[in-house]
This record gives sequence, C-alpha cells and structure tokens, in this order.
Amino acid sequence: MPHLVLDKISIHYDGQPAPAVERVSIDVAGDDFVVLVGRSGCGKTSLLNVAAGLVTPARGSATINGHPITAPGSDRAVVFQNDALFPWLTARENVAFALRLRGVRPAERARRADELLDLVKLTDAGDKRIWELSGGMRQRVGLARALAAEPQFLLLDEPLGALDALTRERMQTTLLDLWTASHAGVLMVTHGIEEALVLATRIVVLAPGPGRVVRSFEPGFSRRYASGEAIRAIKADPAFAAARGELTGAIFEGEVA
Amino acid sequence: MTISAYTERSGSGTEETDGLSVPWSRPSPKRRGVSARMISAVTILVVLAVWALSAHLQLVSPVFLPSPVAVWNKFIVVARDGFVDATLLQHTVASLGRVFAALVAALLIGVPVGLAIGISTIGRGIFDPLLEFLRPIPPLAYLPLVIIWFGIGEPSKILVITIAMLAPVALSTASGVRGVSQERINAARSLGATKRQVVRHVILPSALPSILTGLRIALGAGWSTLVAAELVAATRGLGFMIQSAAQFLVTDVVIMGILVIAAIAFVLEFTIRRIERALVPWAGRE
Repeated sequence: MPHLVLDKISIHYDGQPAPAVERVSIDVAGDDFVVLVGRSGCGKTSLLNVAAGLVTPARGSATINGHPITAPGSDRAVVFQNDALFPWLTARENVAFALRLRGVRPAERARRADELLDLVKLTDAGDKRIWELSGGMRQRVGLARALAAEPQFLLLDEPLGALDALTRERMQTTLLDLWTASHAGVLMVTHGIEEALVLATRIVVLAPGPGRVVRSFEPGFSRRYASGEAIRAIKADPAFAAARGELTGAIFEGEVA
Repeated sequence: MTISAYTERSGSGTEETDGLSVPWSRPSPKRRGVSARMISAVTILVVLAVWALSAHLQLVSPVFLPSPVAVWNKFIVVARDGFVDATLLQHTVASLGRVFAALVAALLIGVPVGLAIGISTIGRGIFDPLLEFLRPIPPLAYLPLVIIWFGIGEPSKILVITIAMLAPVALSTASGVRGVSQERINAARSLGATKRQVVRHVILPSALPSILTGLRIALGAGWSTLVAAELVAATRGLGFMIQSAAQFLVTDVVIMGILVIAAIAFVLEFTIRRIERALVPWAGRE
C-alpha cells in the first residue's frame, strides 16, 4: 500500500528567528484521510507543502513509498484554496492538463476528462470557461484535475476555504465520494472543525509556536459514511457533538480565553 | 403583498429623491456614454470649423494653412496620381511593411528576452541594464549611429524601429511573467509538469495579456519612430512623403500625410484591441 511519511520534520524559513515547525511526524497510508487542524501559525500548510515537495524541511525526512520527496510530482497532486485553474483552457482541458503533459492523445484525454467531470457531478460543464463557473464548481474542476494525474495521494490545502457555508457542506460529501472512488490517500489542511470530523479517518491537531503535534484523533465518521450511513444522521449523532467538543478543546488547549 | 408594495415604493423613491445618492453618481451609463461621444464629436467638428474658417478668411496664408477642402482634394489626387513617384497606397504599404517587419523582429527578440528577465536571475542580470539603457534614448539619437554601421538601406530603418519596439515588448513580457501566480505554477508542477512545460503551458499563456499590451505600446512607439527612420534616404513611405512635401512647402500634402498617419494608428490600435478580446477573453475576469 502507498505510504507517505513525514518523519520528525522541522521547518525553518529564511530570516525567521524561530522554526515554523519542530519535529512533527505524520503518517498517511494509501486509504487514509488525514486532516491537519490547528490555530493560525501552527505550520499545517507548511507541512502539506513539504509533502508536496514545494518546501524543503530543515531537518527530518519526507518520503513516499520509501523514496525521499525532493520535488513536486504527479504521485501527489495538490489542490489549493484558490483553485489555481488555467483560465485560457475550458473546464475539460483543465481536467485533462496532466494527461496532456504526458502526451496522451486528445481523444483519449477528452474521454478521461469527461469521466472525471461526471465523477465530480459537472457532466455538462466540460466546454465552459473557468470564469463562467461558480466557486464550488471551480473547486470540483480543481479536484477532477488533480485526480486525472492518478495520484497516490491528494494533498488538499483548505480546498473548501473559499466557498460559502452551504456549498462547503455539500462539498464535504463530494470529497468523501472522491476519496472512496479514487483509492488515493488524502492529506488535508482545514480550519473547519466540523469538516475535519466529517472527513477524517485521523485528525492531527497542531499547536503554534513552533508548530508541533498536540493530539491525534480517529473520529471514524467518514468510515461510517463510506459504509452507507447518511451524512445528516452522522452529524445528528450525539457522539458527533461530543467529538466536536473534544476536538475544539484540543485545538484551543493552553490558550487563554 | 407587503414586500411587493415595499419594493415598488422604494424603487420609485430612489429614482426621484434619495437623500443618500449623489446625483452624478447615479447609474445612467447609457446617457453618459452617448454624451461623452457627442462631446468628442462636437470637439472635432469645432476644430474642423476653426480650421476651415481661418483658411477661408485667409487669416493665415494658404501656403501655411490650406483649407480642409484643399487637403481632401490633395488626398484624392495623391491617392490617384501619387506624389514623388509613388501613390499614397504605395507610400502607406512601404511604411506599414517596415513597421510590421520591425514588429515581427521585436516579438522574436523581445518575448524571449522578457521571459529570460522574468524567469531567471541570470537573464535579469544580463538584459535589464541593456534595456534600461536603450529604453529612454529617443530613436533620432541612435539613428545616425545605425546609419554609420549599417548604411542607409532598408535594414537600417527596420532596425531603428525594432530597437524602439524592443523595450516595451520585453518589459511587458517580463512583468507578465513575474505576475504569474505561484499557486498556478505549483499546481502545474504537482500535476507532473517539467520546468519547460511550466514555461510553455502556464507562464506563457498567463503572460499573454501582458505581452499583448506590450505589443500595443510597441506598435505606437514603432509608428512614431517610422517618420524619423524615413527621413533618411528613403524613396517611399509616409514619413518620406511628408518630408519631401515639406521641402517644397507643399503644406496640403504635409497635413494630409499627418492625417493618414493618425488614421492608420487609430485603425491599428482598434485592431489590436479586437485581437486582445479574441485571444485573451479571460483578462480581467479571473
């Protein structure tokens, strides 16, 4: 099974007196949905960027299937908060981007892209221009584009952060469906407490100054969704409210209210 | 019911007296657009009228200021019979040919140079000082040197125009490249793009709106350098035509030539705007 490992990672940005992250270890297996939460400045995005190969850690090792991560690669597709789509391409061409880079023939990549657009429920949007799409639709295109690379891991940097509350709610189940359908492991950064609980197989709580792991949860609600339980029923479960309280407590632990 | 009644009332209220809205800020784009254009049209008509009147009253000798009608007649005559061995069309084609040859050369050199400046430190180190040196020099200043080096043939004229166009093209390209969002580049790299693919598939298209703006500025710069370049030993071209006419005090041809140059510049600008809209419809909509 694919395995993404961040081992005792320290990150120190140039010109900063203190390290941003100190000795953080995170382990993502190929069927995991790991969510990093924590207050601003806890280094969660930095850690995601280390996994992506965009940031080089000062100490510690980042490996994928035992190989050191030194640069970005299509085995770890990243989706950013701002969709970072290419406005000169249609939605379909955006999705097919990774295939085009690999020299896949146009007919084949259009077929593949349409399948993925189906998967993210944008069946008829293939010919649309990016600026004609709503924020939620754009983020779906971004997800489909990342999946087209057939990555072993999806790295999601607050993918729902720029969306309105209702769209975000709906996108949570979309993310879970994609996670199940794509057989990719997920490492995601978010500010949303409920989002973390719904999506994660494991939640890693980080604290700032310098960034470090303070707790780790295995809420298990996403596995319940994957085995067929309705999302509203899960959220209405008293266990969900309890987990929510516990997680909130862990995030704000040690902070003077 | 209440709601519809409310909206109706508030709707009519804003139209008449709304204490909060400033009268001139009220959205009436249609009327304002038309009136701006009408004012422009009136301005042009007034200038023409003053010109015609002063020519008619002979406030200035016709040698210095021929009437609009005389200029128009000259336009017909030169278009049909030519002036100094070439028709107006031939002069225009000669000028446009030089400008477009220079434009192609400026794009072929300027876009790669701009990319190099925007992407690599080495590129910026090499080309930035050279461009900053060239940019502020008026073309007339280096024209004599170009002639000493390359003679008075066609290549010299094209070279001078190219130099004038180079800086706008390269600098706009560079600023477009520097403006590419890092997220977009990171996204492409994480989808498996090599450095070369990032340049080809992300940086160049992202910089395209900026490159086209540079092209528009360059065309303006090139067109105004043209006359200077054609002052020197040309046998054809709008600049040459004006210069020869001036030497014989054929003022109507001079004025006609100036108006033709202005009209062509206007058409070029308009065309490039159309091309921009067709090529980069996403500009300003991201």
